[in-house]
Amino acid sequence: MEEHMTIHNSPDPLRSLWLNQQSESTSLSAEELRQAAHKLEKRVLWRNLREYAATAIVVAAFGYYFYKFHTLLLRFGSCLTIAGVLLMAFNLHRKGAASTMARAMDSQSCVDFHRSELVRQRDLLSSVWKWYLLPLIPGMTVFLLGLLQSMLAQPASRAHLGFIILWFATVAAICAGTFVLVARLNHSAAAKIQKRIEVLDAARIEPE
Amino acid sequence: MPSPQDQSDDLYKDAILAHGPALDRLGRAYEADPEDRRDLLQEIHLALWRSFRVFDARCSLRTWVYRVAHNAAASHVLRSRRRRSQTLVSLEEIEEQGGIAAKEDTNQPLERAQVLEQLYSLIQRLDPLDRQVILLYLEGMDAASIGEITGISSGYAATKIHRIKAILADRFRNGGTHDHP
Repeated sequence: MEEHMTIHNSPDPLRSLWLNQQSESTSLSAEELRQAAHKLEKRVLWRNLREYAATAIVVAAFGYYFYKFHTLLLRFGSCLTIAGVLLMAFNLHRKGAASTMARAMDSQSCVDFHRSELVRQRDLLSSVWKWYLLPLIPGMTVFLLGLLQSMLAQPASRAHLGFIILWFATVAAICAGTFVLVARLNHSAAAKIQKRIEVLDAARIEPE
Repeated sequence: MPSPQDQSDDLYKDAILAHGPALDRLGRAYEADPEDRRDLLQEIHLALWRSFRVFDARCSLRTWVYRVAHNAAASHVLRSRRRRSQTLVSLEEIEEQGGIAAKEDTNQPLERAQVLEQLYSLIQRLDPLDRQVILLYLEGMDAASIGEITGISSGYAATKIHRIKAILADRFRNGGTHDHP
């Protein structure tokens, strides 16, 4: 393929300044490349470990609730929450684990590569309610109902019925509000990414 | 006959010999923090070295090197952008904002180092595609070469170059530099 002209002696002073600035040309030895690969793998491992640690904390907490509480609803809610968190972690790992390094090696054109990254991010964000929030909803709902049932079962609950209902309504509203807020923020972030994808589409050469 | 590993090593050495300084400038343009820059350059070298196992010479070595390097660097930008909650802008947005804000508003010609500093600062604010176009332009490439590497149409590349020239001329008018004695 023909090499296009490179204007190293460009009359453009900024280009000249850019090209003539002090720059190093260092190639890495095989050992240094191995170290770089190792460092990259370690970074991915740490990222995964952080995700697993957060999952382990939630699983341990609801495991403890399962052990501590004896009502059917609370135990069932704990199990559902643990299952939901594990499913969410699996989804997070599956969707986020794709190696950008491996894809960078494909040597796609920069626009195609950047577009594929943005499409991946957009799809992740726009479907966040499905793979991130939805698995948590059944467990949280059943667990909250279990808590309400336990509070109502206590002998003094009649005197505080109004307070208990208000408490339940507030907690339920906070949970629902948080879920809706997370979904909306992600949806809005996905819409912004979609605009950037459209800019790239307008710029790229149409595939033949 | 050389093994695929030897071929990959040879191509890597050729690539660094021909484009090493450009990769160094690319690293500085993508990452201001020296520690992160060292990591980024290692990632770029690693991506290049690995990529030569599948290099099929359907494009020139230069096109391949720039594509892989810019793709690795763009991934780095997208990653660090999330981490630093950084907002990146397009050339059009910079133009709408009135070009590049000078650190010191003076009509005095700028030192070479100051011009480079401002240039790097401008580039580091740009979104990946515009960053790629401006860097390839500064590396001395024409619209057709930029289009081949980035995948944008030559017409679009030419429009971007025109915009880059206008922004740079506005900020660094009359060359804008003078040598220190």
